[in-house]
Amino acid sequence: MANEEEIVPTEAPGVHKRRFWSFRPQSDRQAGDAIVANFILHWFPAKALKDSLSWNYSMWLGTISTALLGLLIVSGLPLMFLHIPSVERAYASVKDIEYVVTFGSWLRSVHRLSAHLMVAAVFLHLVRVFLTGAYKNGVGRGQRREWNWVIGVGMLLVTLFLSFTGYLLPWDQLAYWAITVGTNIASSVPVIGERVRELLLGGRVIDQPTLIRFYALHIVVLPGLLGVLFAYHMWRIRKDGGLARADRVAAQKRTEVPTVKTKTYTLLGIARGTSPNLRAYSVEPSDVSVNSIPDLTRRICIVMMGTIAVIAALAAVVRSPLEEPANPLVTPNPAKAPWYFLWLQELVTDTTIKIGGFTINGAFVGGVLLPGLLVGVLVLWPWLDKSPASATGTWLPRSRRRQNAVFLIICALVLVLTFIGTFCRGPYWHLFWPWQPWPQLPTRI
Amino acid sequence: MEKRTNSPFPRRDRPLLAVIGIVLVVPTVLIAMSERAHDWRYWQYEFKQQVTAKYGRDKAAAIPGGLQQIWLPELKRADRCVTCHQATSWKGFENAEEPLRTHPVEVLRQHPVEKYGCTVCHGGQPHAVDAEEAHGGGEHWEEPLLGAQLGADYTLAVEDKSALMQMNCNTCHRYDRETKGASEINLAKKLVREKGCRACHVVNGRGGSIGPDLTYEGDKAAEQFEYGRLNGQKSSFAWHVAHLKDPRALAPETVMPNFHLSTREAQAIAMMVLSWKRQPVPSAYLAGAPRTDPQTKEEVEAEARMKTGPGAWFVKTGCFVCHSISALGVTSPAQIGPDLSIAVDDVQSRFGRTLEDFLREPTGTMSVVLSRQIILSPEEKAVAVQKLHEAFAEHQKQKAQSHEGAKP
Repeated sequence: MANEEEIVPTEAPGVHKRRFWSFRPQSDRQAGDAIVANFILHWFPAKALKDSLSWNYSMWLGTISTALLGLLIVSGLPLMFLHIPSVERAYASVKDIEYVVTFGSWLRSVHRLSAHLMVAAVFLHLVRVFLTGAYKNGVGRGQRREWNWVIGVGMLLVTLFLSFTGYLLPWDQLAYWAITVGTNIASSVPVIGERVRELLLGGRVIDQPTLIRFYALHIVVLPGLLGVLFAYHMWRIRKDGGLARADRVAAQKRTEVPTVKTKTYTLLGIARGTSPNLRAYSVEPSDVSVNSIPDLTRRICIVMMGTIAVIAALAAVVRSPLEEPANPLVTPNPAKAPWYFLWLQELVTDTTIKIGGFTINGAFVGGVLLPGLLVGVLVLWPWLDKSPASATGTWLPRSRRRQNAVFLIICALVLVLTFIGTFCRGPYWHLFWPWQPWPQLPTRI
Repeated sequence: MEKRTNSPFPRRDRPLLAVIGIVLVVPTVLIAMSERAHDWRYWQYEFKQQVTAKYGRDKAAAIPGGLQQIWLPELKRADRCVTCHQATSWKGFENAEEPLRTHPVEVLRQHPVEKYGCTVCHGGQPHAVDAEEAHGGGEHWEEPLLGAQLGADYTLAVEDKSALMQMNCNTCHRYDRETKGASEINLAKKLVREKGCRACHVVNGRGGSIGPDLTYEGDKAAEQFEYGRLNGQKSSFAWHVAHLKDPRALAPETVMPNFHLSTREAQAIAMMVLSWKRQPVPSAYLAGAPRTDPQTKEEVEAEARMKTGPGAWFVKTGCFVCHSISALGVTSPAQIGPDLSIAVDDVQSRFGRTLEDFLREPTGTMSVVLSRQIILSPEEKAVAVQKLHEAFAEHQKQKAQSHEGAKP
């Protein structure tokens, strides 16, 4: 048409004009906007406390765990296209990944190393949270940090189970016998143990039903569960007013910001009242806080890229083992559970008592009772811990000296048992020094 | 302009971020390089050079490059040996160094490489593409390359140091009495018969019960033997050799006598025993496996009677597949065609032609059969006519007899 008019769209409220958020905000307002406008970043506060960003308070172990989880998903996807979850073909498909798929061997190493390191990182994260009393509620009203601790313990268990289910997929001797040892420990639970094992294996022996169950758990069920728990874990951090470190800062700065009783629950400040005329207070004074964009996001970048660099370089050097094809008739000597369960296997050995010809099997005491008790106490600890709120968010405070010491001793025991199981146990489960050669095992030809 | 909070972080964190970015490049280069570094690239280049020198550029251009494999779905393996061993089916490299040597032709004619691949006979690791792992030198692979090197390591007594490979011949040729080219296995089989192993042991499903059943002895894991009294290398093979030479030296309690076998004999038997595995061999690969339905004793006897009786000629030529000749005692298993006892009469009434005429120029089904499956010379046709006349005479005689028998 001739009288075609050029329609100039009016500026609609809430429409973000830029294609991306701003990496280099010119003002505090722009920095806050950049957080709000971004779907993923908006779980972060617009302003982050300098103390929360510090390297040596949190050691960024949660971020490292998240980076490893991301690496696992990214490296796991191509592996899903290559691995065939069938008893007849799984082993050969992993051999193909190792030998002929371009970057296949590296990809598998990335996945394996990330999984092992994630177990370690999540465990260290838990240790850090305990030692800083970060599961404790500080000065904010309505904080529920103890529940985030419970979720965290759950996430550690899911991480362990994820790694454990992945162990079976290559269908080699290592896989087959590690799962045999692991599920045998589970079967020593009184009354329901045998049934739990049968449910897990899809039968009484490890076979195709087991492989497909572990596969489904490994690629769909457990990652999905971990994703949900992760989202809630992050959301709870915001709802509890940020890292526990923030409570410490708030407790110290309280006099300077008298109007503020709690930490920020909203994006830029706290809104009160119901009238449209809201008054907002900037919660963090500028001397203790910085803009999340770019200072928080930059550090996240550093930690995540650093983790990727470490894993990528390690994976180029460390190859993943693949033993003989699974053979139910031949037990490797020694048969070991995955390393993070070796403290349990070690406990089982150490609690097996022989009196004359009579043997008390330690599978129940060492494999179920003790670890079950440990996890139970761990879950309940925030309610048992009676230390003052001022001990929140600080490393090794005087008022928590005793419980920290007991916790560290238990951790050390677990680590020592893991070390013995991993490096000092040889054929027939005899003790060897790590540098001592094992007796030569026979071969076929 | 609104204010922006000053931050101490950029000054410290920006250089750190830059360093990590650079560090990320290192593994990338490492991976890319390790992915390229494979010996097979060199061997493929080298083979192309040699072919160019020998047969010219055109021939060399036709050689496929990159990873090569022989995919054997029935044997559930992909043999990638041919990635380096490219000369196996080429003429003119008979005396070249491995991996670029021609494979002996005679064996390949009977075991075409497209059907058998490489590793079912030679051992080694089919998946791998680097020499050390492909030849089974790597950890965790139980079937090393059964080549001259390994034979020399075992100080095989036989001249041919690659004789260990005969173990794999016997996976399929287990039930052969003798296998061409498998001298050691043949020797071992002969020894089993001569020394009377079956007096005490079950061998291939038959024998005594004093000693253990050896039918699947090759399946035993290496860990299942007692090496306490064995000197030197600890392997199933070494154990069997030592045990065969002097059973009491390894197992003082045993009642197995010392047969005073020579080293070569003991090694031959050990090779055979290790080949006795429960390995599923696709039936098409199994030598000597019966491919017919089992027959009853009566059926076997009836067939023998037919083959030697008056109707033997019709059995030999294959007529009996469709036709019975009841007068001569020949019964067809299928009985698709009419009984030939009355052919002389029958042909005349069906086709209006004499039997001689019909056989010379058959029509219908018989024209197809006699031109493609049963091809008879004119002389043979004359024999057929003569025999059919005899059969008809016999038939009429039998008929008359049965009538006489029915009368009184």
